[in-house]
Amino acid sequence: SGSAWACGLLGWARPDRWLASGSLFPLTCIHTSTSLQKLGKWEKKNRIVYPPQLPGEPRRPAEIYHCRREIKYSKDKMWYLAKMIKGMSIDQALAQLEFNDKKGAKVIKEVLLEAQEMAVRNHNVEFKSNLHIAESLTGRGRYVKRIRYHGKGMFGIMKIVRCHYFVKLVEGPPPPPEPPTTGFDQAKEYVQQLRSRTLVNTL
Amino acid sequence: LVVVSFPLPRLRGLLQRCWGRLERGLFPGFSAGQSLPWGPALAVEAPAFFPETVSNTRESNEAPSLLDSILWMAAPKKRRTIEVNRCRRRNPNKLIKEKRNIDVCPECGNLKQKHVLCGYCYAKVKAETRLIRMEIRKKEGGPFNTPTVETIVLYDGEKPTEKDEGKRIIERARKRPSWFVQD
Repeated sequence: SGSAWACGLLGWARPDRWLASGSLFPLTCIHTSTSLQKLGKWEKKNRIVYPPQLPGEPRRPAEIYHCRREIKYSKDKMWYLAKMIKGMSIDQALAQLEFNDKKGAKVIKEVLLEAQEMAVRNHNVEFKSNLHIAESLTGRGRYVKRIRYHGKGMFGIMKIVRCHYFVKLVEGPPPPPEPPTTGFDQAKEYVQQLRSRTLVNTL
Repeated sequence: LVVVSFPLPRLRGLLQRCWGRLERGLFPGFSAGQSLPWGPALAVEAPAFFPETVSNTRESNEAPSLLDSILWMAAPKKRRTIEVNRCRRRNPNKLIKEKRNIDVCPECGNLKQKHVLCGYCYAKVKAETRLIRMEIRKKEGGPFNTPTVETIVLYDGEKPTEKDEGKRIIERARKRPSWFVQD
């Protein structure tokens, strides 16, 4: 199997081809990948393909994953904006972000517009308003440490902070917000938990 | 003085010999039996003010701020746990509130806040006024040349009426915009 592996590895290198071409570029046979950077997990989520649906099944709503990496903003500050637009329809989210004064609002608005465009173009979404935000997350980007000069020769080490922003759009109207749990519901759940206890490792 | 009793007689003997050597080395005129507190063998009356106390007060005047301030500055006693931090950061008063005063501009269809001019329409008007001001600048030629009469802006194919007799006329080479109503 070792020899087979070696043959498979060097399968692209065909010396007769080199001699035939006559040019001095032996690397034309190597398959070079077009993507320069490694694709993150969120970007790969757009590639999953489901098997075709059976005739009786309800239609599976389209899901679009989009993200932007290494935004020059803090992940904690970005989280407030992500939390605000979670669960909104895309039009409402764009409206709220347009009149928000934060720096991250402009970035998220661009990301949402890009994702909307992608949805209509590539993911077979019929109406661009018929999307809602199912998930919106922030992640920590690569931090860089720098020196911050204080008076009297003192210095501090500051972090240049960057973040990622991830969004998942799903076709369809936004789900209705669930009503907050009342005390009565919580008490009912507690009683239910107590009643469903069983004895372990016995008859 | 600490008295240590060892169960093993050999160690006890060794310890006693060591202790004896130590005593003899430190206090040659002192026998092991005596255990009086040491005091000065000779007492001399010293002056009331020592140069040391003066330097002490000077030191204490110089840097009370550094040492004292370290003592009474507020400092956190314990590290705030991530649970406590999350409770503070995710409290509803810290979350961004949703705005309920966003409408659609009837002129251009963009979004606008109810109490604020539409941003798109304002930018449009601003661009046009900038061009008009450039025309005025070309006509005047320099600062302090503003005439004392009113100004009228006329677009393509418009003639000044008899009302605009003595007014200064600024020509703009384009069609009249719909929002700029002629009197």
